[in-house]
Amino acid sequence: MNRSLRDPVLLPAVLLVWAAVLLFVLYPLARLLFLTFWNGGPSLDAVAGLVRDWTNRAALVNSLVLAALVGVAGTALGFMFALLTVRANLPSWLRRAIDAVVLLPLISPPFTAAIALIFALGPRGLISYHVFGLTKVNIYGLSGTLLSETLTYFPVAYLTLKAVVANIDPNLEDSAFSLGARRWRVFRTVTLPLATPGVANAFLLVSAASLADFATPLILAGTKFPVLPTQAFLQITGLYDMRGGAALCFLLLVPALAIFIGQRRWIERRGGSFVTVTGKVGAATRVKSLSPPAIVVLGVVCGLVVLLVLICYLLILAASLVRGLGADNTLSFAHYAHVFSGGLKAVRDTLIIATLCMPLGGLFAVVLGFLVARTQFPGRRALEFAAMMNYALPGTIVGIAYLLAFNDPPLALTGTAFILVVCYVFRYSLAGTRATTAVLAQVDPSIEEASASLGARRDVTFRRIVLPLVRPALLAGMTVLFIRAMTAISATIFLVSLNWSLVTVRILEGITNLELGQASAFSMLVIALVYLAVVIASLAMRRLNAGSLGQAGALLGG
Amino acid sequence: MTTGTRLRLDRVSKRFQRDGQAALAAVNDVSLTVEPGELLTLLGPSGCGKTTTLRMVAGFEQPDDGRIYIGDQDVTGLMVYRRGIGFVFQNYALFPHLTVFENVAYGLKVRRVSTADVARRVSRVLELVGLPGYERRFPNQLSGGEQQRVAVARAVVVEPQLLLFDEPLSNLDAKLRVQMRAELSRLQKQLAITTVYVTHDQDEAMAISDRIAVMRAGSVAQIGTAEDLYRAPRSAFVAQFIGRVNLVDSTVIAVTGERMTVELWGASLTGPVGPGCGAGARVTLVIRPESLTLVPESTKAGATDVVVAGVVRSRTFLGEKVEYTVEVAGALLHAVAYDPARGGVHEVGARVGVSCDAGAVRPLP
Repeated sequence: MNRSLRDPVLLPAVLLVWAAVLLFVLYPLARLLFLTFWNGGPSLDAVAGLVRDWTNRAALVNSLVLAALVGVAGTALGFMFALLTVRANLPSWLRRAIDAVVLLPLISPPFTAAIALIFALGPRGLISYHVFGLTKVNIYGLSGTLLSETLTYFPVAYLTLKAVVANIDPNLEDSAFSLGARRWRVFRTVTLPLATPGVANAFLLVSAASLADFATPLILAGTKFPVLPTQAFLQITGLYDMRGGAALCFLLLVPALAIFIGQRRWIERRGGSFVTVTGKVGAATRVKSLSPPAIVVLGVVCGLVVLLVLICYLLILAASLVRGLGADNTLSFAHYAHVFSGGLKAVRDTLIIATLCMPLGGLFAVVLGFLVARTQFPGRRALEFAAMMNYALPGTIVGIAYLLAFNDPPLALTGTAFILVVCYVFRYSLAGTRATTAVLAQVDPSIEEASASLGARRDVTFRRIVLPLVRPALLAGMTVLFIRAMTAISATIFLVSLNWSLVTVRILEGITNLELGQASAFSMLVIALVYLAVVIASLAMRRLNAGSLGQAGALLGG
Repeated sequence: MTTGTRLRLDRVSKRFQRDGQAALAAVNDVSLTVEPGELLTLLGPSGCGKTTTLRMVAGFEQPDDGRIYIGDQDVTGLMVYRRGIGFVFQNYALFPHLTVFENVAYGLKVRRVSTADVARRVSRVLELVGLPGYERRFPNQLSGGEQQRVAVARAVVVEPQLLLFDEPLSNLDAKLRVQMRAELSRLQKQLAITTVYVTHDQDEAMAISDRIAVMRAGSVAQIGTAEDLYRAPRSAFVAQFIGRVNLVDSTVIAVTGERMTVELWGASLTGPVGPGCGAGARVTLVIRPESLTLVPESTKAGATDVVVAGVVRSRTFLGEKVEYTVEVAGALLHAVAYDPARGGVHEVGARVGVSCDAGAVRPLP
């Protein structure tokens, strides 16, 4: 008989987590697949019907091409930033400034980069028209979407690769130098091969983010460049075609799942489950593998990107503070007045839901992380995998699946705040779970054995030993939940109701109604709130002696 | 304090399953008894199953076969936290977020001991391990030796029936190790708690133990006092693991009563008879390095020893002694000479006589 299941506490905990995962992850997905492939009997009608339509075929191809392109561009940019900040011996204030700017796209509400690019590079854009006098710039379609998504998601690659590059033992490069290799050769034969797994991982993360992105294409892709998430959205909200939407979700699900499984395989083969990078940076030797000209090139490229990001956000700020950016540039607080009158309910609802998510999701994350990292029970790996599904799959799929599963009795949850909270908890707890397993990887299991040997039951050990030790992970996980709850759109758009409206949805409404100033004001408010949360969290982290903003930021990376 | 608990392992086995590979027997049919108040050491090379055995006694691992009894109670299926043990870990496993006081009080609080009693017992045990006044420090403010003492205090404060040590000294430097093992030994005698102690260090085992169980490949090779194991090893493995040894193949020439005569380097030597030795039997002789004396080449054999010619191949000067490797009849022998200041040192390449005393030679069974 399996010993762990005789534990009086472990079994109920495992059953509880399994029940939650079955109900809120697997059941909705099952409903989605059922609707796609069951029409009075097993049927491929829905998928076949889709593939006959040019738009849908194009959407599939476009999504994949876009994901690959964003993956390459974002990873390249992220790698350059990582080399610059880790290897170029920049002064620390400059590194921190770069980090702060690069963090912006990660914590911004959706659409931010897209709106800003329209302001900057649109037909009447600040840069394209007013600076360069161009009139025929086309920001809509593949190029604009690619640019916007790259700017939005390269920080994911940057944060991943920064850790990878920083963890390459400088002694290895030194020994290559000592064997007579020159800089470029050392970089090519030592640095790059050692970073390759991290680069591949970053590529998959960025591709997955692009594949799942709903907001950017909705604004920038236009009708000539359809992609799957927006097609699924339009199929359901425009045509009320649930089956068609579900089938589109299936088309999206296949590549998303493939990327997710590929990424997991890749990491596992290298020995870590969640944690790709552990341990400390090696000896305090000065890294020499970047030549001064290389640093200059990296500095120019990264400087331009930082400048573009800054311009984007300044434009949003400007748009929120004038009547109509580009048309009527008189200072006005009308947009903010609107946010704090008509928009106040959305702000309040969003804050309520985000606040509800934090303790629930934090606890779920820590319990799951503990079960995965520290206990043995049948089906442990299956549970781990299932619990990650909602995180790994594009929000559009999760949103539509929830819509299908929880629209009717006995589980009629749509229209409640509960469904939003549940959606966020199961979609965004994973960061906390990862942080928990990472912390526990640093804590020797004998600490818990010591507690057991002193007479403490599993639950006592968990409460008195594990929870205090994983406090930093709990905090990080809750911060991520807060940020995501403030900024999520792709799943949320299907789950909001008259009772519960969210800021991100108001931003989308502002854009569709061409009230970009209002959308900008809402965006600025979200950015301010989220930045505040990150600052508070990193102060708390410092009190817990657990690193700082970088860590909370790194958790957002994927 | 609790005294008088006997620990008994009855044919305990444990196999570990590695993915896709055949099950590996980590512990194989181990039976042993630790008497009340006794300190038994499990000694063996890494991978011999000693730690697994200890962890099964603690309840961290579950045996696949066999029973474990603490006193009269069969604890085989009992959860760790109900076994009433104290466990001292190799890395001490102090709770990093709790102070010394809170660490030591932990087991008492879990047992719902009253606050006043907790304070009294914690301060008494901290005194016992020589750390009074350390209550409010955190583990990361302590030296290795201090952490070790806190770990011991935490284990004994709950008055366990059984005290279990898993290589507790291996993270300390050599000098501190010697000091701590004396303290552990004193404390264990004072508290008279039945104790199982795991180590791979034979000096530590010999210094601290009432009895030693030498383990090899999941089985107990021999149990006995340090003296028994050193003087009368029952296998080449035990002979080699406890101290340094020369194992020399030989033939029995004759057996007369309690004495037998064996061939050694072309000469004959008479010593105590081994079990199952008859005339003509092949035996392996155990000769400890200190039984071999290096003498001038021309020395003649006496009545009770043999002398054979050899060449010094290496020497290691260690202060109070010199260790030699001497080539004799094509084989390399270990010899040791004490007090070299008086006896002189032989140079490498010197031709010497090697004298072996008959009384010190024992056959392996």
